[in-house]
Amino acid sequence: MSSYTPSSSAGGVGSADSAAPRRNSKRPKYSKFTQQELPACKPILTPRWVISAFMLVSIVFIPIGVVSLLASRDVVEIIDRYETECVPQNFRNNRVSFIQSDANKTCTRRLTVTKHMKQPIYVYYQLDNFYQNHRRYVKSRSDSQLRDNSSWNDVSSCKPEDDSNGLPIVPCGLIAWSLFNDTYNFSLNNQQLAVNKREISWKSDRDHKFGNDVLPRNFQNGTLKGGKSLDPTVPLSQQEDLIVWMRTAALPTFRKLYGKIERDLQPNEVIHVTLENNYNTYSFNGKKKLVLSTTSWLGGKNDFLGIAYLTIGGLCFFLALSFTVVYLVKPRRLGDPSYLSWNRNPGGH
Amino acid sequence: MKQIVITLELPEIEALVKHGDKEAIAKASLDCVKKQINEGKLQVGKESSIEFGLIIDGKSLTFAMDKTLVNDFMDLAMSCATVICCRSSPKQKAVITRLVKSVTGKTTLAIGDGANDVGMLQEADIGVGISGVEGMQAVMASDFAIAQFRFLERLLLVHGHWCYRRISMMICYFFYKNITFGFTLFWFEAYTSFSGQPAYNDWYMSSYNVFFTSLPVIALGVFDQDVSSRLCLKHPSLYQEGVQNLLFNWVLILGWMFNGLLSSIIIFFLTTNSIIGQAFRKDGQVTDYSILGVTMYTCVVWTVNCQMALSINYFTWIQHLFIWGSIALWYIFLVVYGSIPPTLSTTAYKVLVEACAPSILYWLTTLLVVISALLPLLSYRAFQIRFRPMEHDKIQIQRRRSESLERDVAQSRLSESSETRNSSELPEEVRIRINSLKGSSRRKNS
Repeated sequence: MSSYTPSSSAGGVGSADSAAPRRNSKRPKYSKFTQQELPACKPILTPRWVISAFMLVSIVFIPIGVVSLLASRDVVEIIDRYETECVPQNFRNNRVSFIQSDANKTCTRRLTVTKHMKQPIYVYYQLDNFYQNHRRYVKSRSDSQLRDNSSWNDVSSCKPEDDSNGLPIVPCGLIAWSLFNDTYNFSLNNQQLAVNKREISWKSDRDHKFGNDVLPRNFQNGTLKGGKSLDPTVPLSQQEDLIVWMRTAALPTFRKLYGKIERDLQPNEVIHVTLENNYNTYSFNGKKKLVLSTTSWLGGKNDFLGIAYLTIGGLCFFLALSFTVVYLVKPRRLGDPSYLSWNRNPGGH
Repeated sequence: MKQIVITLELPEIEALVKHGDKEAIAKASLDCVKKQINEGKLQVGKESSIEFGLIIDGKSLTFAMDKTLVNDFMDLAMSCATVICCRSSPKQKAVITRLVKSVTGKTTLAIGDGANDVGMLQEADIGVGISGVEGMQAVMASDFAIAQFRFLERLLLVHGHWCYRRISMMICYFFYKNITFGFTLFWFEAYTSFSGQPAYNDWYMSSYNVFFTSLPVIALGVFDQDVSSRLCLKHPSLYQEGVQNLLFNWVLILGWMFNGLLSSIIIFFLTTNSIIGQAFRKDGQVTDYSILGVTMYTCVVWTVNCQMALSINYFTWIQHLFIWGSIALWYIFLVVYGSIPPTLSTTAYKVLVEACAPSILYWLTTLLVVISALLPLLSYRAFQIRFRPMEHDKIQIQRRRSESLERDVAQSRLSESSETRNSSELPEEVRIRINSLKGSSRRKNS
């Protein structure tokens, strides 16, 4: 050994055959963490656990499914598809030119109430085949311009609807330009049904995303009008239709809140709807529907959740039963060392 | 075990050495070694049922590795159970290791403690250096360093086994969680006419692999133990799981990927069908793009973390903290990010606090989707443990059973002994039983 051998290793070296106390000086300090001996729980999927897990899921899910289904059945919904029928007969083959012309677009529809509808009754318009979630469409807006009057010039992300006639558009972008502009008027027994169009948008949008000092400017001033025009004297935070429309939808089929009817409707009442069929969905074969719906504690009418819960609950129940049968019919004594492979094939791999 | 000795310490060679003619010595030695090798091969060929040990010294090794003899020598060596090369030089050690690696194509491990072992340690796939008597050169050239030779057993059987399982599970799980996440984005694209609009806010996507699913993977890769160290040492054949590559084969990898695909399908379709379309709250509001993103992302985070909880079977406080903490972190992130002004938080502004949390449908959908996505793995694991348990499953079950047996016996003995304590002395056999139980529980805890 060279004379440069460090003393610590010499200490350890010499200790290999010397007394025990010297050997312990090289040993690292014991701690449960570094020796990987932390107290641990080591669950195993025994038959008892498997069956109880499945039974627990089915016991929880089946009642939830039943309750959800009942809530959904409680909701009354009237859907009326009108885009084809609101085009006069002689224009049926050329609907695009009809919608782009100046012809009279008023249309009357009749809706029959099937069950008692408690107020508030929500009025929606539903569009199909309208891709509000297309990337270029979603990008085409200027949030800073919507929020703050001082940024009225910030239209860079809004092409092609950023300016017209040399002046920037407020609010700019394709989303605002394509604002839905059908209107609905409801009457019952020759009496006007009031539709409350306040507070149909999210409060955070009204308060923080659309400024109350931003007024529409130069809007829908170009050669091609994409949708509704906005009153230039009303600030954006009060233009609730715009706010609702600017919240882009998730899928190509979507509903947006139009207003609320705040009175009850009795069964067999007939509501006359006078609607202005202004919005052009004919260029892309989109559908337009008018929806009246009540809500329950769970929301609108959708049987899917209740059915899904019942299905999963039932499936788990079936799995629990089949595992019980399997464990009873072919019991295998767990932990039986004779099943270990080296006990079964001694001496070989 | 029978010995085959190849040596040049034979009278005829020594006679030649006395004469001093180098060429003649070399030729004679070569022939002698060749003869001994062939004899050895014959012997091994004749008696194939017993095991042989080959012993060869350094001088003979030089000739055995001659071009003409090396193949025969390697054949003979590979057919013996043990080979001892004594008095070999460092270069010979390295060359032997290289030969074994290339001829057999297997993984080689070399262990040594001195500077003469450095060549061998570096040549082998795994070099284990022992720090101690002969200095630190071996340690500096090795992949693993241990303090005493007997620690090799623990290194291989305990740490090798754990490491294999940890790495294979970690890789499979990584594929799984990213496939689940990525495919939900893909299914969404089908509904945006493939325009490239992501389903989630940018910041959600960036933080997926950093904040919400990274810690549990670390808990798995660093801390997981399928079988305790005591049982690893007690059942050395568990090590065969690594040798036979039972935990990281194509079937398992593709199975995890398929699980990811299935999870993503379940998440996407159940979420969209539950909350899209009708109002999702009592106040008539409908879901928009940001709410769908939040709901789906919540389901993804819950699902991948719960799949982790189902796959590992060693829960310390660390695992609990990381897994449940990551899920809680997601909600905290939503609240914090949602309270930043909309200039920065864009579509996530107040999305949890205002829109999602008051909606019962949001919570019910999360519960439904997470449980549905977990069912395939749970059923598969239950089925697999029952019908095709792997070795470590069987050992875990055996340990559980013996633990509960000991507990029952100890309890019954204690209750018995407390009854008999009223009489002045314990019966003999009860005392013996208690002592043996104490001894076994002490062994268990050591």
